[in-house]
Amino acid sequence: MEVTDIRPMLAPMISFACAGLVFLMGKKPFWRNFWSLSAASLKLLVVFTMLPGALKGTVYVFRLVEFTPGIGLAFRTDALGMFFGIVSSMLWVFTTIYAIGYMEPEHAQVRFFGFFALCVSATVGIAFAENLLTLFLFYETLTICTYPLVIHEETPEAMKAGRKYLIYTLTGGAFVLLGTVLTYQLCGTITLSKPGILSLSAGPAALTWLFVSLIAGFGVKAAIMPLHGWLPSAMVAPTPVSALLHAVAVVKAGAFGILRVVYNVFGVELLRQMHLTTWLAYLAAFTIIAASFIALFQDNFKRRLAYSTVSQLSYIILGASLLTPWGATAAIVHIANQAFSKITMFFVAGAIQRKTGKTCVHELAGIGYQMPYTMGAFTVAALSFVGVPLFAGFVSKWYLSLGALQSGQWWFALVMIVSSLLNAGYWFPIVYLAFFKSPPGARLRIDEAPWTLLAPTLICAAYVIMLGTTVDVPAMPFSLARAAVQFVFGM
Amino acid sequence: MLLWPHWLALVVVVPLAGSVVTPAVARGSGRVAGRWAIGVMTVTFAIAITLVLRVAQTGPFSYWFGGWEPPYGIEFRFDEFSAFSAVIAFIGLLAVIFSQRYAEQALSPKRIPYYYCLLMLNLTGMIGFTVTGDLFNTYVFMEILSLSGYALVAVSGEKTAEMAAFKYLVLGAVSSLFVLLSIGMLYALTGSLNMADVSARLTAGVPKLPLIVALAAMTLGYMVKAAVFPLHIWLPDAHAIAPSPVSAVLSGLVVKMGVFGMLRMYQIVYRADVVDLSVLNTVLVWLGAISIVMGAFFAIFQDDIKMMLAYSTISNVGYIVMGLGLASQYSLIGASVHVFNHALIKSTLFLAAGAIIHRTGYRTLTDLRGVGHGMPLTGGAMAIGAISIVGIPPTAGFLCKWYIALGAFQAGRPFFGFALVFGALFIFIYYIRMVNAFYFQEPVHPEVARIGEAPVSMLAPMLILAALCLVMGILGRIPLSFIEPAVTRMLATIGG
Amino acid sequence: MIEALWTNLDYAASVVLFSIGLYCVITRNNLIKKFMGLNIMETAVFAFIVALGVVEGGDAPIMGADASPPFTNPIPQALILTGIVVAVSTTAIALSLIIRVYRQTGTIEADELREME
Repeated sequence: MEVTDIRPMLAPMISFACAGLVFLMGKKPFWRNFWSLSAASLKLLVVFTMLPGALKGTVYVFRLVEFTPGIGLAFRTDALGMFFGIVSSMLWVFTTIYAIGYMEPEHAQVRFFGFFALCVSATVGIAFAENLLTLFLFYETLTICTYPLVIHEETPEAMKAGRKYLIYTLTGGAFVLLGTVLTYQLCGTITLSKPGILSLSAGPAALTWLFVSLIAGFGVKAAIMPLHGWLPSAMVAPTPVSALLHAVAVVKAGAFGILRVVYNVFGVELLRQMHLTTWLAYLAAFTIIAASFIALFQDNFKRRLAYSTVSQLSYIILGASLLTPWGATAAIVHIANQAFSKITMFFVAGAIQRKTGKTCVHELAGIGYQMPYTMGAFTVAALSFVGVPLFAGFVSKWYLSLGALQSGQWWFALVMIVSSLLNAGYWFPIVYLAFFKSPPGARLRIDEAPWTLLAPTLICAAYVIMLGTTVDVPAMPFSLARAAVQFVFGM
Repeated sequence: MLLWPHWLALVVVVPLAGSVVTPAVARGSGRVAGRWAIGVMTVTFAIAITLVLRVAQTGPFSYWFGGWEPPYGIEFRFDEFSAFSAVIAFIGLLAVIFSQRYAEQALSPKRIPYYYCLLMLNLTGMIGFTVTGDLFNTYVFMEILSLSGYALVAVSGEKTAEMAAFKYLVLGAVSSLFVLLSIGMLYALTGSLNMADVSARLTAGVPKLPLIVALAAMTLGYMVKAAVFPLHIWLPDAHAIAPSPVSAVLSGLVVKMGVFGMLRMYQIVYRADVVDLSVLNTVLVWLGAISIVMGAFFAIFQDDIKMMLAYSTISNVGYIVMGLGLASQYSLIGASVHVFNHALIKSTLFLAAGAIIHRTGYRTLTDLRGVGHGMPLTGGAMAIGAISIVGIPPTAGFLCKWYIALGAFQAGRPFFGFALVFGALFIFIYYIRMVNAFYFQEPVHPEVARIGEAPVSMLAPMLILAALCLVMGILGRIPLSFIEPAVTRMLATIGG
Repeated sequence: MIEALWTNLDYAASVVLFSIGLYCVITRNNLIKKFMGLNIMETAVFAFIVALGVVEGGDAPIMGADASPPFTNPIPQALILTGIVVAVSTTAIALSLIIRVYRQTGTIEADELREME
């Protein structure tokens, strides 16, 4: 059932207005924090008011403007979009609290919080985009608005990373636009409201080019190897940015775009006939393993996190390219699972950096004595990534393996196991260092990060456990993912 | 209304008379000349708007001078493409308003009346060029706008201004001669100078070779005017050195006259349908694509902000020429509308750049670091212009490029759609350099970041234009559907 | 071939003139000589168009008591009058620009000017 409702547009607009207010009144810390926090909460509220309807299968639609027939900006909350929208608006709240604490000694905070809000606005816009053009618009907005955050330090290193980021993502954006034009040319519409709009009659060559173009475009942000180069260098950004943008907003926007391409532009049926996703699955599997290997050898904490992100994102791609219901379920729920686990880790890395100035793994010996709660949260996230049952990551791996078996490609289940081992290989040493290795020199007292940093970390860690133990956590409705899968597979 | 029957002639006569008498009216006072110019351009704009409304309601219409029927008399013909005259009058008006303070600072008081006289003469030439239905008239108006253009480039008195103007003059004059030669040949072939009549008389009996030579000469001439690569060499210097309001007019409008001439030529030969245009089209498509890339490529290495904008004009004309060459319904609509929209966008950018140079006295990106903080509104207008010119929705630049890209697929040449999208990417890169410099880099001159806004007479025109860049994007359907009948009519005779 | 050239001698002459002019514009180093090349081109085009209107044995098309057909075509002549006016204006602007270039830099040789930039 489709209902015209302004709320799908309201959600991105709230963050957008927040950015405006921050730019106007943000000189005073109070107003800056006030607007950021209240907008974050308000948006979460708006998104949640749509949840009951969305669970019942109501789809809210809002058409903002139509440039020419069929080409315009429109918003729509189907199950898949709703899922991504909830994850990102929820994490915005936590990250805002964290950022207020973290950014206190930093310069140019008005710019930071303003563009931060714009990025979140763009992310929700991506989640609720009704057509490819709206998706592209917000995708590009996200690219541009992230740039000032990446170069926040304004050091030569940051500028270089910013340039690299722009070159990668803008090229990706150009491919997305190309794909959008081609889609319109091939089938006269660019809507994302159907389970696939293309048909085989468009000709296999054109369809192949279109698929490559769209996947390459979104794949840049989803950091599929070999398009991942920007992600590790973008880690020069302040930690809240790395946390929200490089664990949730930017990279997930890419992954989400790929889900849209697979499920809503091409449709599962067509892709099955064309065997286009086989190579994508292999590429994703390769990325999962290779990025994990690289992560093993990273000493810089945030770089290790970055490569882990590269590896984890490909779970989503792999899940999508299996073209089975279980695989799709895994891909969708992994959006939330990875986001909460990874953001916990980033929060931990930031808290440690702020508290002790340590940025490298080998310096972390005994840090668990000093910051037990923080490192406790880290352990939870690490267990989740390794895929221990009762933690969020297990759910994704379980369904992904089921999906692989369902499609008859059992070797992808093996990839899951290898990946688990590798994850253990690069996360457990940190846990070991933190808790079982005495710190050099004097024994440390408990000296935790301030509550603005600690509270979001602990809440996110708690969520990781909740996601792993109860399939239907109130905020992360598994049933939404199920509804999305049913829609896509026509069940 | 007594004048109503002559309304179409008035759109040329008013600015022409207004400009010629400017020095007499002003009697040496720059202020009076400025006010007078505003008045004249306002009236012209009002007349042009009524004409556009009329063409939207009733379709194309004509005016015969002295009541002489074509092909014997001279005909003004106002069709959908002629609506560009309203854009000319509008941007002219804004440029004149912008000039009020600018001229006071940049020119000696005695010369200000002549400056306005030249500027309005230039605008008159363009308006005439867009509304005339007579080939020789085209040449005359083209010369009016070119000659005043040469003088306007030199007016700034900068060190290299004369040389830039001379370069512009030589190439401009040579190109005009090619056009005149072609007009002469068309006259020899058909015995008529009226465009519609020429088109009707170009029947299968007309010898092919001279006709092809004539068309080639005309295209060559107009390509110089439009600054299509590799005939662009005159443009960067001339546009960068001219006073900023003049740059806005030159880059936004004058360059378009070359494109407009090609459009008129296409109207003639499409209707006649006697020669195979595929070779010409292929040449245009390739040169267009190369222009896009080369213009963007050179722009990346410019430090002078106006030089960068000038190279960006070459890229954007490349889009239009490519759209013409693709010759499909979509691409022609896209190209024609981009003629309008690019005029708005590039004027925004040049006026904003002018305001910045006026306030700070610097013109390189390095010197201007941090200026976005000192001049937030100007910086904002510049940013909107930049977004539009890259073609990000929902701004004015988007729909045209979308249509041209669609046209590339429609014409079965996806490669050019590809070239277009990646050209946009290139353009993006150098505008990001600009934004970077304005907002995110440490100022070289600390005072630049605290400079304060430009005066209202500069701010208002560029903010209006910036707003239009957005409005034309959101209401993009209106110009597209406005132009569509003209394109359909143009393509009708070549069998769909 | 030769015959065709001979019957169209006027056109051929225009083409030759035009080429000479273009050659001058491109190759001459001195700004005034460059511009003289342009003037030659202009003359070529004007001659070409005027020649279009010639009618074998035609009179000047002036109405009067003793006027008798055939007349030469008056339209090209009218056009070229306009053209000449344009050409004169172009020349005036060009020369004034050259004078200003000379006053500012002391030279009107294109290569020396390029070196100064």
